[in-house]
Amino acid sequence: MISERNSRLLASLRTALRIFLILLSALIVSVPFVYLFLNSVKPSNEFLTVPPTIIPSRFTLEHYQLTFDPGRDTLSYLINSLVITSATTIISVLIGSLAAYSLSRLKLPFRLSTIIAFAFLIVRFYPKITTTLPYYILMTRLKLLDTQIAVIIAHVSLTLPLVVWLMLTFFDELPRELDHSAMLDGCGPLQRFIRVILPLTTPALLTSAVLTALLSWNEFLMSSSIAPSNAKTLPSAVSSFITDKGVQWGPMSAMSTVIVVPMMLFALFAQRYLVRGLTLGAVKE
Amino acid sequence: MAVANAVLPIEEKISRWQLFRVQLSERGVLALFLVPALLVLIIVQGYPLVYSAYFSTVDWSLAKSTEPGAFVGFANYTKAFTDKVFLDAVNVTVVFALVATALEMLIGFLLAYLTIGESVLLQIARTVLIMPMVVAPVAVGTLWRMILSARAGLLNYGLSLVGIAGPDWLGNPNLSLVSLVIIDVWEWSPFVMVIYVAALSSLPIEPFRAAAVDGASRWQIFRHITLPLLLPVTLLTLMFRLIDTLLTLDIVYTTTYGGPGFKTHTLTFWIYQQGLRYFNISYAAATSWILLIACLSIAVVFLILRNRLNRRGA
Repeated sequence: MISERNSRLLASLRTALRIFLILLSALIVSVPFVYLFLNSVKPSNEFLTVPPTIIPSRFTLEHYQLTFDPGRDTLSYLINSLVITSATTIISVLIGSLAAYSLSRLKLPFRLSTIIAFAFLIVRFYPKITTTLPYYILMTRLKLLDTQIAVIIAHVSLTLPLVVWLMLTFFDELPRELDHSAMLDGCGPLQRFIRVILPLTTPALLTSAVLTALLSWNEFLMSSSIAPSNAKTLPSAVSSFITDKGVQWGPMSAMSTVIVVPMMLFALFAQRYLVRGLTLGAVKE
Repeated sequence: MAVANAVLPIEEKISRWQLFRVQLSERGVLALFLVPALLVLIIVQGYPLVYSAYFSTVDWSLAKSTEPGAFVGFANYTKAFTDKVFLDAVNVTVVFALVATALEMLIGFLLAYLTIGESVLLQIARTVLIMPMVVAPVAVGTLWRMILSARAGLLNYGLSLVGIAGPDWLGNPNLSLVSLVIIDVWEWSPFVMVIYVAALSSLPIEPFRAAAVDGASRWQIFRHITLPLLLPVTLLTLMFRLIDTLLTLDIVYTTTYGGPGFKTHTLTFWIYQQGLRYFNISYAAATSWILLIACLSIAVVFLILRNRLNRRGA
């Protein structure tokens, strides 16, 4: 009797501890985000008060207006980020899934298919700083430095490994009979790919798209080095609010919020695809 | 192709030549599918890799000349190993990577254990917890600047409420690297959590059933069944986190900017400065190759370990 009561007590203690720890970690994760948002609507004079003003005395949109004023460059950085992320996602998913389909169906001699697949994979493992410098010089020579195209191509190369490997896993699981019966109906490879294969792999395509968009929107190293002004993206623009004279807290918070919120919403609605993409490769069902 | 042959008796009009042409165009079109992706890979990764290997062996500073200079062999590499600032950066990077990775693996695993389950509340908890890793690392830096700022920061305000005078987290030479570790752990433990939640949910049921029948304790089951089954996933996650922490740049850029002094100069930050601020192209290339070889060695070691593990399990 006593031991049963003890074990029940222990179990409820364990549950209580579990709930406490979950709440604590959720708090640690959310406090910085809430504080960022509060800072972005805080009047300028309340930034350096001691003790810090946590809840602003009034809410203001002045930092957003100032940062994204049509007369200022930051609005064009936002547009750059939107254009680059959309183009990267479309191109990367398109040419990445084409390549994956080819790697899955075409048997090249000398195990070339495997070698090419690994060439894509290896991109994930080395420092991008090694290729950033020569790419910078190459883009200077081609007069493409500081253009959206240069950043898009760079981002496509960074995200291709992900798309190729994700799609390869899915294509390999599709039965070849599908290809063959479409072939008998007189479908060429391209038609087959578009009409038969792609519709069957929509979840995988979405997963690739979600991860690609995330990586491109957040990317800093390559975009900050090859696009210093005209094609600047938001992540490299936000660092310019930290100057020798100090930090411009208001605009920095406003811009950080604009960088952070879309991806948080994205993660909220596309979590299933996001998680699947992240765990594929590491966890095999 | 086997199917195309099978059709042959029906469509007797198709000659061997026509069949050959169909197969050829089939393979040709499929090969064409590879071209765009390969082209991008070559332009942005392949060619630059070769190019940087080349100019790591010449004497070239873009600040002095637009053309590569004389061949100097491995001089840039040997220079690095006597360059105190570079060696300090190696030191900072290795310490940062080891400590941050260890903490992320541990905390990520605990978070997975805490939040695993299908109830709505647990799912909401997991959604909240993955937020740090989906936002831009650069913004994570700015976010934490506001928390860690010495005078106006939230953390020191919190500490002052309980009577502790908080330190200058980012400006104190003894604490700046600790602060970076805290930020990285905050950002990436959720990644480890996501992996382990998936791994734990897909474990086979049989060994656990058998252990329960044998009357094994919770701890025994965890120690002798769960942990060994998680070893392959652990190896891969460890590899990803180790390589990624070795390459940390973004959060350094928006929090400490390498300072105070060189206290938080991670290797990527240091190479970034050498190459894109001082335009010491050849020196930056050589040091980036040292980093590249280190990263690929780690990947190779871990993949070999994993293969061995798989073979033993099979």
